[in-house]
Amino acid sequence: MITFLVKRTATLVVAVLLSSFAVFLIPYVTPGDPVRKIIRSRVAGDVVDDATVRALAESLGLNDPLPVQYLRWLGDFFTGDMGLSHISRTPVVDQVMPALGITLSLVIVALVTAVVVSLPLGIVAALKQGSRTDKLITTVTQSFIAMPEYWLAPLLVLLFALKLSVLPSAGWNTASSIVLPAATLALRPISFFTSAVRAGMIDALDAEHISAARARGLSHGQTVMRHVVPNGLVPLSTLFAVWLAGLLGGSVIVEVIFAIPGMGRLLFDAVVNSDIPLAQGGVVVVVALAVAITTLADFLHRILSPKVSGALA
Amino acid sequence: MPELVIEDLSVRGGNMGRPILTGVSLTVKPGEFVALVGGSGSGKTMTARSVLQLLPQPLRIESGSIRLGSLDVAGAPEAELNRIRGGRLGMLFQQPKKMFNPNKSIGAHLREPLKLHGGLRGHAAKAKALELLAEVGFEDPRRGARSYPHQLSGGMAQRAMTAMALAGQPEILLADEPTSALDKVLEQQILELLDRQRIQRGLGILYITHNLASVAAFADRVLVMDAGVIVESGTTESVLGSPKTEYTRRLLEASNLAPTGIPAPPKHQRSALKLTNVVKQFGSGKRGGRPALDSISLEVQQGEILGILGQSGSGKSTLARAIVGLEGISSGSISRTLMANDTRATAVQLVFQEPHDSFDPRMTLRASLEAPLRSENELSAEERSRKLTSAMEEVELDPALLDRRPGQCSGGQLQRVTIARALLLEPEVLICDEATSALDALTQRTILDLLQRLHRDRALTLVIITHDMDVVRHMCQRVAVLYQGCLVELTDTDRFFADPQHQHSQALVSAAIPCRGLHLKKFRAAL
Repeated sequence: MITFLVKRTATLVVAVLLSSFAVFLIPYVTPGDPVRKIIRSRVAGDVVDDATVRALAESLGLNDPLPVQYLRWLGDFFTGDMGLSHISRTPVVDQVMPALGITLSLVIVALVTAVVVSLPLGIVAALKQGSRTDKLITTVTQSFIAMPEYWLAPLLVLLFALKLSVLPSAGWNTASSIVLPAATLALRPISFFTSAVRAGMIDALDAEHISAARARGLSHGQTVMRHVVPNGLVPLSTLFAVWLAGLLGGSVIVEVIFAIPGMGRLLFDAVVNSDIPLAQGGVVVVVALAVAITTLADFLHRILSPKVSGALA
Repeated sequence: MPELVIEDLSVRGGNMGRPILTGVSLTVKPGEFVALVGGSGSGKTMTARSVLQLLPQPLRIESGSIRLGSLDVAGAPEAELNRIRGGRLGMLFQQPKKMFNPNKSIGAHLREPLKLHGGLRGHAAKAKALELLAEVGFEDPRRGARSYPHQLSGGMAQRAMTAMALAGQPEILLADEPTSALDKVLEQQILELLDRQRIQRGLGILYITHNLASVAAFADRVLVMDAGVIVESGTTESVLGSPKTEYTRRLLEASNLAPTGIPAPPKHQRSALKLTNVVKQFGSGKRGGRPALDSISLEVQQGEILGILGQSGSGKSTLARAIVGLEGISSGSISRTLMANDTRATAVQLVFQEPHDSFDPRMTLRASLEAPLRSENELSAEERSRKLTSAMEEVELDPALLDRRPGQCSGGQLQRVTIARALLLEPEVLICDEATSALDALTQRTILDLLQRLHRDRALTLVIITHDMDVVRHMCQRVAVLYQGCLVELTDTDRFFADPQHQHSQALVSAAIPCRGLHLKKFRAAL
């Protein structure tokens, strides 16, 4: 287990280093003078004349070899200095962190909702496999996959905000602002989670150790609670992490539609406006967090399913 | 203590389904060791499951009664059944490792029956669990309780399963082929453990098996089951000594794997396979621990039948896979000196242990068997079809089976198809990796007969890898013993059984001879 911890953590660090290096190179591989772009993200005032550019390039170390520059950039980055936005001229970190907080709360609310909805659905569908209940649950949840967010979101707004006037249609001002975007975002995970729970439960129900549990005197209900549900839910933990990591930067459509100042929207704006420092900050934070989440999920999986660790140890 | 009485039990597969059990009656008294014997599919397991009222869907009890003392088990409410399952009625299963929840420790498993049937929780339950583990032979009960099922060997898992059954203080133990997946040494240890419980606590045991040697050694009474009917019953002496029915006679004969005395090929024959200092190390050398194969040198003579004996984990299967080239080796060499410039990679073929696992379940047998022919040479569809038909006839199967899928065939049929598949490529050497271990005694016998005929007719060199001493004695001219990846003994079969040299060989040979009560050989003489 300890070897695994060390190995996985090392992989995490390497992944973050590699992706951040690619991000670091953005000013060099995009059109325009990289030196001027970098100076603009480092110096508040406008710099026009070549002499000042040369002086600043020297003092900022932009004539050093790339690896040296990269390490300096990375050091600044992880001590909270992500540079200045090209557009707003304010520190990137002051925009990224609040946006991250908003997206995290939106995504976590959406995914927790999805789990709360799909757990009972998947469990019931598996226990009554092949019944009409099962078919109804499976068909309805599977149809959610085919409902794109840009179609569903306006429908929900139409119904709950305009027709019924019970929820705000956009923005991020009141607690109720989160309801419609989270619901929109939860829909597709619900369909994936439900089918994962159902499949996991069916596998767990089929396992031969279930009849051994009954032969020990556990009732059907006790067997399901102790041996079927916990085993059937192991795949869900991995799936949850994958979605959590994916939605951090992938909630852009919902954020744009509902005018939520989250991470997806921030990245979208940064790219549209060619705001390189903002895009760099956003991408590195999202990638680092996503890699950390999947690593944590791996650890969790090993604790829940010790056979996995046995096989690889 | 009460006795278990089954009277006139009939079980059907669904309302209109075929009969599974018909008019089964049997009694297990306290302190009695009763064996229920029969081939696979004869209804032995369903008898045990009926007693626990845990028949798989859509099977149901049609008529008859099951009583435990004064309790009518067949008519008991579910709550009462949950009290006696794992309580007054314990059960052991054939594949112990699959019978544990892989995500829970052995200790967690043991605490379930302790709480359900003994009302023990917390420290009391933990202490009792350790006590039980020690009783069934765990040398370090604490470690045993902490381990997860996949960390236990098959033998230890069956011991843990026994501890779990004993936790409920059973009056009757239903042991459903508890040792069929284990080798002889472990089988004897487990059966001795059960027998000790029988003597010490008056446990009544219903021992379900197809292995007559263990029955002769341990059982007081025997019931023989065929196609859901008890065809014969009586004391072990009378049933095995003077069998009344043809079926019992066939079972006895099938388990009578006496040496067949196939003449060994003349000495100084050319060798078919030559292994020199073969080493296989899994993982990286530094951390991998001891190698799976440790400097094995071995020659297989052309036309001989060589047995490779070893317990599970001894490296037998790795060796087989290395010889056919499915597994690379770390160092050493494996050379084939086959007949007349035979350089085909397919000249050495392998037959696997689990017939159901060695076919693609979605392909018909025809498609599976045709695949190697397609890649091998350019035959027309007609020629291929003719070859398949003759291969099926060679292994005594109806060619019509070719259009079935593996799930529609029995294990014995499929194992024949595996052999047919190997024969299609006209091998010179056939390696059988536990090819009969998953089969019941009757089927095993027919497969062994088939292999002998092929050896004779085709001058096929056979390497028989097994943990079954009887198979080795029956088939092989020479024996190689693998122990922890090392070749510890290589000698003629006769000499091996008469005078085993290595300590491990001695343990194997002595376990092959039944210990208590009647010796099966006595009955063979009467046949």
